[in-house]
Amino acid sequence: MGKYVLRRLAGAIPLVLGIATIIFFLVNLAPGDPTLLLISPGVTSDVIEQMRVNFGLDQPIHIRYVRWLGAMLTGDFGYSFVYSRPVVDLLMDALPNTLILSACALVVAFGVGIVLGTIQAVRQYSLLDSSLSVVLLFFYSMPSFWLALMLILTMSLYARNVWDLPIWFPASGMTSTDHDFMSAGARMADRARHLVLPTLSLSLVLTAGIARYMRGSMLEVVRQDFVRTAHAKGLPERVVVFKHALRNALIPIITLVGLYLPYLFSGTVFIEYVFAWPGMGRTIVDAINARDYPVIMAGTFFFASMVVVANLVADVLYAVVDPRIRYE
Amino acid sequence: MVRKGCSKAVFCALAATALAACSGGEGGATRTVSADPFCQQVIPAVEAYMAASRASHPAPTDPRYGGTLVVGSIGELADGMNAAVSSDYSATQHQQFVNLMTLLDYDAAGNPRPYLAESWEIADDNRSVTFRLRRDVFWHDGEQTDARDVAFTYVTVTNPATAFPNAAFWDHYVKGAEGVEVIDDFTVRISMEPHAEFLDPFRTVAILPEHLLGDVPPGDLKQHPFGTQCPVGNGPFVFWSHTPQDRWVFEANPAFPEGLGGRPFVDRYMYRIIPEQTTLLTELLTQNIDVYLAPRPDQAQRILDDPNVELLRYPFRNYVLVGWNARRPQLTDARVRRAITMGTNRQSIVDAILQGYGTVADGSVPPFHWAYDPDAPGLAYDPEGAKALLEEAGWTDRDGDGVRENADGVPLAFSIKYNTGNQQRQDVAEIMQAQLADVGIAVQPQVVEWATLLQQINTPELRDFDGVVMGWVVEFKLDDMDLFHSDRIDQPYAWSGTRNPEIDRLLEQLALIVDRDEARARWAEYQEALIEEQPYTFFYFPDRLDGVSTRVKGVVMDARGEWLNIREWYIDPASR
Repeated sequence: MGKYVLRRLAGAIPLVLGIATIIFFLVNLAPGDPTLLLISPGVTSDVIEQMRVNFGLDQPIHIRYVRWLGAMLTGDFGYSFVYSRPVVDLLMDALPNTLILSACALVVAFGVGIVLGTIQAVRQYSLLDSSLSVVLLFFYSMPSFWLALMLILTMSLYARNVWDLPIWFPASGMTSTDHDFMSAGARMADRARHLVLPTLSLSLVLTAGIARYMRGSMLEVVRQDFVRTAHAKGLPERVVVFKHALRNALIPIITLVGLYLPYLFSGTVFIEYVFAWPGMGRTIVDAINARDYPVIMAGTFFFASMVVVANLVADVLYAVVDPRIRYE
Repeated sequence: MVRKGCSKAVFCALAATALAACSGGEGGATRTVSADPFCQQVIPAVEAYMAASRASHPAPTDPRYGGTLVVGSIGELADGMNAAVSSDYSATQHQQFVNLMTLLDYDAAGNPRPYLAESWEIADDNRSVTFRLRRDVFWHDGEQTDARDVAFTYVTVTNPATAFPNAAFWDHYVKGAEGVEVIDDFTVRISMEPHAEFLDPFRTVAILPEHLLGDVPPGDLKQHPFGTQCPVGNGPFVFWSHTPQDRWVFEANPAFPEGLGGRPFVDRYMYRIIPEQTTLLTELLTQNIDVYLAPRPDQAQRILDDPNVELLRYPFRNYVLVGWNARRPQLTDARVRRAITMGTNRQSIVDAILQGYGTVADGSVPPFHWAYDPDAPGLAYDPEGAKALLEEAGWTDRDGDGVRENADGVPLAFSIKYNTGNQQRQDVAEIMQAQLADVGIAVQPQVVEWATLLQQINTPELRDFDGVVMGWVVEFKLDDMDLFHSDRIDQPYAWSGTRNPEIDRLLEQLALIVDRDEARARWAEYQEALIEEQPYTFFYFPDRLDGVSTRVKGVVMDARGEWLNIREWYIDPASR
């Protein structure tokens, strides 16, 4: 197994470098110019030329590529054109914020989704199964952007100003205005309150999908012989479902974990915009709009690495849950 | 569902807080300071000086002092407080009125008044201006602000290596060290040729600390942590923290000169970045922010309906236009461009897409400006006149398809480009398409991604557009040289590419006239020349709207800026 992981990692290096190279040329050859975005009338062409020199954009593209590659291999991703800060600092500021949000969303989505899917499979064709299906389909077909706005409308604006509810949730940001003055415990609670609406908007849509997968996977398993055997030897329903069926039904779900793991890092742009969450998605999309080449490059390089790693993690997890799978 | 999400979220937040590992505070407020060596050096100095200032300035007893003020807006303060490299509107405003100081500012009528400079003298021949600085202004780390800071700032922003964006400010100034003379610690003289509105740059460009930035090579200034990680200003508010894409926090400066009003009323001022306007409106209505900058016109009614917030409305510095590429055969003739403007009912567009919050434009002088003349001639909506003008120019519908052609059979058809995600500009292009069809012109609206569009229109070799919907923000010192002067035809902003000797002559004169009364008449002439030439269809001057909570008192906003008297805003003690 250890050898297998090492081999996979070694194979990933040319893959990631190749992706980075392609993105470098795509980004640098795309129409648009970062200096044009920073200037206004009154700016002479000398100033534009000086900005290009300061940014290193005056060099031909192959020289820029070699320089970028050399710097990157030593861990230097350069400075953001827009924020004038080291790119690594910029991304490292945004990364934890995205991780918190998407980890919460994934935990909620997989937790709730697996439970609901299992319930539906066990009680197939019951009223509970059908009504859950309708509700889940409702959320599944909803764009999370719109869901987010509806949540803000109901659980923030109306809850506070119209219905006068005792509980309402803040519509934006990660912390309250007086966060700096709170005690450690209050700060944690404050962060949790700010997480509620974005987590819900992200996870509701995911939950629905995961529950559908789980229901299907579970239904397949409960029809198999070993489950029938378990029933036949008189094991209680609880043990049959949770010990025998569930473990086997979870294997396909792991594929989903592998698919969603990169999403942990990339963040979800729309949700980050709506809730003013200072995460990776916003950073990268803003960088693309501003043609902030160093940030785009570092960000995409990071994502490419994450996709490779997440796929590897999913493959390793297969072996962990399914003793039949062995890697040499 | 809700409760489940909530309890899970609490769990996640526990993990999150462990991850983030903020710097622990010992009582009072906690903050995270950038690990950059420059910041590690200056922030303790600022903290020490502020602690000393608080001790020597007893807490004011007036009930107006105190509280936290929160302003929400869609954008970051790009380049932060680094006045030498920033071109962002909100960032410049923070340099002028919040964290740093300019030599002078403007009164409501647009006349210069003292700020960091307590007085100035203009040489009789208008070839130099001598500023005398206040002696009671200190950088937030305790150093005194003096003439060397002014000289340093001047030399830096006029140095081409800095790439100070608005280089046109210095067109008629003597650049570099030769242009500035330190006469004594608090007196500095700057040399120039006589020209119009020469004091205006000193209203816009804030003075930077020489003792902190003097050794930084000009080309490296943009990347210096001073801008966004640990600015040290001398203005009414002291930098506290900046979380990128989230918030900037400032504290009241207890040592701000009494002669300028002393420390600001609010204890803390927070600028929050909330990119989605629906969220911003919600945060204003739920009292999580006190000021929502620049709501959309269609959100104005919601603000007016709520008793806890009010809507401020005032003429502002931007205008929306459709720029014509006169290099295109259909658009070469000024009569065609005039007919397009006459065939467009611009008032109906102001009413429809701005809900009336705006004024039809006929030139580049905005309504707030001293040179604006409300009675200046304009081009009225006149579809019949437009048709007659097109006939006169040789464009007739020869084949009966509803679109006019010229003698060579070229149809009067062209595209109007606008950028993605801008609803107002899309509406402008589409309404023009409908209205111009009635006079026999076929318009095709076309959407292009912003950075790509800028390249298409601004690259002199490309100019890949027929018409384009754009907007400009003008400075108090109006300067259209880059837009319309034929000497600048190879420069990025000569979109129309028209050459008009009359416009050239007026622009050259206007750049040099020192006296405003004399200039006013020239500006009116200039507007007439623009109407004749129509390099743009000037569309409208939108009114600036701002949503302000009624708990904030003393707010004055106008074309000078939203933050102009922020040190006098206070929070109603009853609703704190």
